[in-house]
Amino acid sequence: MTVLLLDGVSKTRGRGPHATQALRAASLTLAAGEVVLLEGASGAGKTTLLAVAAGLLTPDAGRIVLAGRSLAELSPAERRRHRAQVVGFVFQRSNLLEQLTAWENVLLMAQLAGRPTREARRATNEVFEALNIAHLAPRRPGELSGGEEQRVGVARALVHRPALVLADEPTGNLDGTAGRVVAEALATCAKARGAAVLVATHDTRLEPFATRRIPIVDGHVVGPF
Amino acid sequence: MRLVVKAVRNRQARAWFAVGGVATSSLLVISLVATLRGAATSVVGYVGQDGADLWITPPGADHFLRLSGVIPAALTDSVRALPGVADADFILRAFVAVSARRHGAGFRLTLYGVGYRAPDGLGGPPKFASGRAPQTRREIALDRAAAGRLGVGLNDTVFVNGRGARVVGVTAGTNLLTTQFIFADAAAIEALSGFAGRASFIIVRLAPGGNADTVAARIRDRFPDIDVFDRATFVANSQRETGVGYTPILAFVNTLGVGAAAVLVALLMHALVDRRRTELAVLLALGAAPQALALVMILEAARLIVVGGVLGAALARLLAFVLDRVFPVIPLHFDIGDTLWTLALLITCGMLASAIPVARLGRVEPLEAFRP
Repeated sequence: MTVLLLDGVSKTRGRGPHATQALRAASLTLAAGEVVLLEGASGAGKTTLLAVAAGLLTPDAGRIVLAGRSLAELSPAERRRHRAQVVGFVFQRSNLLEQLTAWENVLLMAQLAGRPTREARRATNEVFEALNIAHLAPRRPGELSGGEEQRVGVARALVHRPALVLADEPTGNLDGTAGRVVAEALATCAKARGAAVLVATHDTRLEPFATRRIPIVDGHVVGPF
Repeated sequence: MRLVVKAVRNRQARAWFAVGGVATSSLLVISLVATLRGAATSVVGYVGQDGADLWITPPGADHFLRLSGVIPAALTDSVRALPGVADADFILRAFVAVSARRHGAGFRLTLYGVGYRAPDGLGGPPKFASGRAPQTRREIALDRAAAGRLGVGLNDTVFVNGRGARVVGVTAGTNLLTTQFIFADAAAIEALSGFAGRASFIIVRLAPGGNADTVAARIRDRFPDIDVFDRATFVANSQRETGVGYTPILAFVNTLGVGAAAVLVALLMHALVDRRRTELAVLLALGAAPQALALVMILEAARLIVVGGVLGAALARLLAFVLDRVFPVIPLHFDIGDTLWTLALLITCGMLASAIPVARLGRVEPLEAFRP
């Protein structure tokens, strides 16, 4: 089942003399259960592609279908709600909210996705168990190591059982062991939950977990897609 | 929503600084308003006392404060004889210098001397904190704040325009803020002021069933060169006169106080948007509604202002309680309506001021969450 379809998507970032063509007629499809690495140098357009795929940026041209709905046909509020329900994010820095405990960070995502309170709590406990990080639940981000933070970030991305997980350099700030643990957690847990995973990265540690690798060069998705 | 609030909320220390600033502003404004109320209440307490049904004044003087005209004291007997009048007494008012030491050496106060037919004539002290009314020319009753500032109490001797008198009473509700009352027998004030045979006012007590308008009209017919006011009008005029002096200053200082609180809240909310920019971007990326985040910010501003405002109001009451016992110079009188108005004003201004930084929330791009 196709979770994400990008068809001829272009996007210019910046204005005037600073404008750059970040995506040039990019196309790709992702099916449920796939783990796809989007590989390219800095500035190649990886992050822009993730943002466009999530509906955070509106493309200048092209079509995006996310979990069965064309983003162009949704109002900004509908797009936001759809994103909250079907997309999970893993950022380069975990971007956990520092005022909240690890457990609350994950619970918040479940609530933003529209889960009723009781169900959100149950889902949060479940994802902590699945990732073997229950012992981290009461800690605040400042009390976690980089690897632990990122594993909680993965839990946040998966708690609402999204159709698509978008990860932007999820292991970029982690050393060897921590990076491998996070990569494994992201790939195996997402797969087990039937989510498609699109990872922008140039970290080779993720390659063993990938079902496909897609190079991106100067905004062109080189393929195969 | 609770978690979004918790995620965006200020750190405790910073929040307490803001609360402290708003509380200080609230304390300032509420105390200043209470000061004006206190002075006005003192005027009302004296002018509106039982038995003072009509006030006869020199021409043009429609209030108790700040007038210099006098009328013949001998009119008192004629007024007393009019139908509908139960009693009438004159009072002579003169500013007097009072010190605790002979010849005014050391600290001295200029007080509002009221000479009346001691001990129980009309126009005497409205309320005693302790002691009794003066009965001889060598006895006085002194406002509590003035007694405190002079460091004297019952049975001490004070010097009024250089003449010794014994303090036999300490009065309450007689502090006009810039000056206080001292009560003495009319003959004593006449001797001190040189206004022998003159009166500042004549106070009339109506006979049972007497009509104030009818008696006032009768007095005006009989003595066309003087003015007559019923108690309510004279109280209102005196209150107005109290406000005329203080209101512009209070309004100015209160505006500064409210403005300072508003700026403080605006700055804090500004810093909150700036410091929480990444968190806000993450929340937006994860799917939080911008309107919900704006509401959270507004609620945060409201929380700080309300907590600060209420804390300031409570501190004002505490301060008044302490001042009243330790240094009862400022006549603070709290009115719940004034406090609510002040809090409403603080909250309104603070919320308006916080709208600008909250509007900056619109500039936060969810894409910022991706930046390392």
